[in-house]
Amino acid sequence: MSPGSSALIANLEQLGDEFLAVIRPLGDEQTIRAAQAQFLGKKGKVSELMKELGKLPAGERPAVGAAVNKVKQTIESQVAARLGELADAAAQADLARSVDVTLPARPVGGGHLHLLTLVRQEAVQIFAELGFVVAEGPQIESDWHNFEALGIPKDHPARDMQDTFFLSEEILLRSHTSPVQVRTMLTQKPPIRIVAPGLVYRRDDDLTHSPMFTQLEGLAVDEGISFADLKGVLLHFVKRFFARDLGLRFRPSYFQFTEPSAEVDMQCSFCGGSGCRVCKHTGWVEIGGSGVVDPVVFEHCGIDPERYTGFAFGMGLERMAMLRHGVNDIKFYYEGDIRFLEQF
Amino acid sequence: MKVLWSWLCELCDLDRAPTVEDGARALTRGGIEIEQLVDLGAGFRGVVVAEVVGKHPHPHADKLTLVDVITERGGAATQVVCGAPNVPEPGRKVLWAQVGATLPAKSDTMAGAPASSGRTWLTLAAKAIKGVMSPGMLCAEDELGLSEDHAGIVVLDADDRTPLGATAQRALGLDDWLLDVNAPANRGDLLGHIGVARELVAMLGGRLVPPDAGVQGATGEPEVAIAIASAEQCARYVGGVIEGLRVQPSPARIARRLRAVGVRPISNLVDVTNYVLFELGQPLHAFDADKLELEISVTPANDGEQFTTLDNAARTLMPSDLVIRDGGRAVALAGVMGGRDSEVSAATTRVMLESASFHAMSVRRTARRLGLHSEASQRFERGVDPELAGFAWRRAAHLLVQVGGGRVTRAPRDAYPGRREPKPIHVRLARVRAVTGVALDAAGCTDALVRLGFTVAPDGSALDVTPPSARADVTREVDAVEEILRVTGYDQVPSTLPELHEVPPQPPPDRADLARAALAAAGASEAITYAFQSAERCGALGLAATDRRSQPIAIRNPMSEQQAVMRTSLLPNLIAAVARNQSYGRGDVVLFEVGAVFLRRGEGAAEQPLHELADEPVVAAGVLAGRRAAQLGEGAPWDAFDAKALALEAIRAVAGPVAVHTRATASVAYLHPGIAGELVLDREVIGWFGELHPAVRARLGVVGPVFAFEVELDKLRLAEPPQMRPIPRFPGSVRDVSLLLADSIPAARIEEVISGAAEPLVTGVRLVEDYRDAKLGAGMKSMLWSIAYRSPERTLTDVEVDRAHETIVGRLVENLPAQRR
Repeated sequence: MSPGSSALIANLEQLGDEFLAVIRPLGDEQTIRAAQAQFLGKKGKVSELMKELGKLPAGERPAVGAAVNKVKQTIESQVAARLGELADAAAQADLARSVDVTLPARPVGGGHLHLLTLVRQEAVQIFAELGFVVAEGPQIESDWHNFEALGIPKDHPARDMQDTFFLSEEILLRSHTSPVQVRTMLTQKPPIRIVAPGLVYRRDDDLTHSPMFTQLEGLAVDEGISFADLKGVLLHFVKRFFARDLGLRFRPSYFQFTEPSAEVDMQCSFCGGSGCRVCKHTGWVEIGGSGVVDPVVFEHCGIDPERYTGFAFGMGLERMAMLRHGVNDIKFYYEGDIRFLEQF
Repeated sequence: MKVLWSWLCELCDLDRAPTVEDGARALTRGGIEIEQLVDLGAGFRGVVVAEVVGKHPHPHADKLTLVDVITERGGAATQVVCGAPNVPEPGRKVLWAQVGATLPAKSDTMAGAPASSGRTWLTLAAKAIKGVMSPGMLCAEDELGLSEDHAGIVVLDADDRTPLGATAQRALGLDDWLLDVNAPANRGDLLGHIGVARELVAMLGGRLVPPDAGVQGATGEPEVAIAIASAEQCARYVGGVIEGLRVQPSPARIARRLRAVGVRPISNLVDVTNYVLFELGQPLHAFDADKLELEISVTPANDGEQFTTLDNAARTLMPSDLVIRDGGRAVALAGVMGGRDSEVSAATTRVMLESASFHAMSVRRTARRLGLHSEASQRFERGVDPELAGFAWRRAAHLLVQVGGGRVTRAPRDAYPGRREPKPIHVRLARVRAVTGVALDAAGCTDALVRLGFTVAPDGSALDVTPPSARADVTREVDAVEEILRVTGYDQVPSTLPELHEVPPQPPPDRADLARAALAAAGASEAITYAFQSAERCGALGLAATDRRSQPIAIRNPMSEQQAVMRTSLLPNLIAAVARNQSYGRGDVVLFEVGAVFLRRGEGAAEQPLHELADEPVVAAGVLAGRRAAQLGEGAPWDAFDAKALALEAIRAVAGPVAVHTRATASVAYLHPGIAGELVLDREVIGWFGELHPAVRARLGVVGPVFAFEVELDKLRLAEPPQMRPIPRFPGSVRDVSLLLADSIPAARIEEVISGAAEPLVTGVRLVEDYRDAKLGAGMKSMLWSIAYRSPERTLTDVEVDRAHETIVGRLVENLPAQRR
């Protein structure tokens, strides 16, 4: 081996050590790659030394070539190792971060549907399962639709049952959703199955009565509909709405537009029927009125009372919400008090 | 109506004697609501019936008496000190509160008041009175809490048959219950004890026991003449004279019963008419026969006729009022109230007793118009059975003979032009089953109806049934079906679900609910407020008189001024709710409401009566006040763009991704003229948003700015189901342009110019910066817009994008005009 070759090999080996010293303090990939180029690039230190190669005896060139390859490998593995170290350190540093996870959540949303909207939508959904579709009508109604067509003529004592707001002699604020029944039967042929949720108005104002409240009326007209179907439909509703097996009790009552008529009592949802303040220790709470559609209503609406029978029911959604959610004063529903609204 | 349990039981003979709770339950099951069940004997305890066997003067006091009493025949006497002036002679019975008795501390409430009425009680101890020990006391009514009466101790009637030692409750008729019966509107027959008794008999089994109506000696020809103008107005009039009467207080039994049902006893004559009214449900009137000619006629009043009623009020009558006349003079308003001039008095010895049946509507109209609602008018309004009039007359006459010392020598005149033959109702058993869903047979139906006093005759697969005359509410087959079911029991009806033959067509989704869901999801909370409000609140928006919304529909009979007119906008109530929440310390609120507002159709002004229904457009409206919620500290205050965002959410929830344009408006009275926008869809204004006008907010009591929006949901077309658009397969490019332009040019104008360029590669436009600074020059602003370009077919080259961008920038510079910066 000529002294030239030996010196070149020694220089090449030294470059490996030199490179290690250069990159040890470097902390990012870019400078490391730049350093790598200074050694291995076209004009890098290894290439510079390689210019000497031609001056060496031909027999010694393979040995020098091997030394070149070796130093290249050394530098490349040093780069890989250093980059690996840096990546590990970065991963370590990333994992060292922490936050106080008990800080409050950042507010999102913040809106609420009204409890009565939620209850109405749910009730409508439950009746929809039995084939009832929603029907609507005006809140400002004619005396005829609200009373006369339902068999309640002027001067009839039944008008006292629902002290009504009048806008003129013939126009009033509907005192129940029953005019929607009339409007439906005037325009549709049986089979009819509707629920009519909506605001109604009566001159009444105390802890459990509001001059405006939400009624949900149901009507089914078909061949072969009976009082037994009324019971079954309301029982289904109560079971689904309260998600409990609460019993119903039908008490004879009087409504001008149904016959037979019934008040519907439900086992108290608060005490399950054992008696509490809500049910006045009777175990039962009244949830609405119902009955078999009076033939006179069919006659007013052009439906053959011999061929068809039907049932109708009405309930107050404020009351249903009160029974399920413990609302203890009906006025909360209408005051726009955010402290109430945001609870549901 | 108040029903006394003992009175009820006297009128029926039941198969098994029920407790009052059993009775109440049976009535309830039959549909007669018992609102309250009151134990009349609740209250004092330890007071017994004692007989006076001796009386001696008190050694140290003139006004005190030492009374010897026994509570057992032959038992040892006890000496009680008594300060009353009316200590009876030996042999009479008094009420002795023994040591340990519980008495009301103050006689401020009547017996029968609910136990929770807050009365305080004391326990009686033996005590020396002026040196003589007194084991208890003899009681006056006030000491038992029965009345205010302290004139003397209670002395039982000489013929009282209460055994010695029995409770005072028993002697006073207080071992009894009061049932507060809520009779259905069509059941006038339940406004007398006998009607309730009929129900009890039907529900529990037994028979009705009508009260004694025997009248001796009424054999002479009637002396009263009766002429009835209209059989429809007055179906029957029974009138006859009872003479030889002596006016005096009623016996205790009658007085106590009347007091229990809420009527003040006056004198035997008046009390008997009230007694029969409560017993049978037949209103009666007693005229002083000496102040009356016995030529009675029942006719309409003359227009403007003057008449002074019993209550001394002068009334002006109308032809729709029915009056009773003697000769030509009006002496009573039929079924409503008698006249002052023929009123019975302490000196009355002869009465003409009227038992009549007047038309319900006529009585109702008169009673309503004059505001005269009496026990009598209430019953006539619900209908009184004409068949009852004769029996009720005899019952009252019987009692007047018994308690008034009267005699009847002539039969009453019975004018009955409105007699109706009972008409049987044909009840098909198949129909009974179809309506009820219960497999009832002829025997079951018959039994139920017979229990109610119906007459039933079988007719093949049907029944011919005749209701008792008292049940005028039963006229049709279906009425009879209800009666059958009532007695059989609603609990006998099975629960079934109706068969569903076909799925009904579904109505379109509810716009209101779509908007509600979107607004709640966007952070607003739903309020539901009254549809009526005060005229003042309605006016708070400051709308022009030409605006329909400034002419609200008024309620004729509002409950208060706060609920006098129908709302024409949702905003006033929402703004008032903000003020209310502020007063609770909740100033950061976002509220919305979706509901109808009520507008007159046509041109009618507020004063004109409504002849037709109203327009009820459904509106979504909202208000924002205070700041948004922040994770820590205070969030940013709401502004007009939050209101705009909510409005757009509501619109898109209903109409889908439609192009809504905004333009400034200064013509919305309730919005700040410089911070108000209208939302335009297909050239129609569908909503508004902005900052509330400071004057409006001041009128409704809100502190600080409020931002509001309104969207008229009925003007939106419901979105079709959205169809998927292809996902871009090629990358797009973005170019920015910075413009210097007059600050009067709205952002919408720039968007308009860009879309006007109709450059097909443009896929999006975004405003990045809106910058105003004096350095830009007076009235100038700088805007940075970012425009996105993309082709669905290929990756665009820079040259293509630049060409499109330069076209658009050129348009902007020229059309706005603007300078490129």
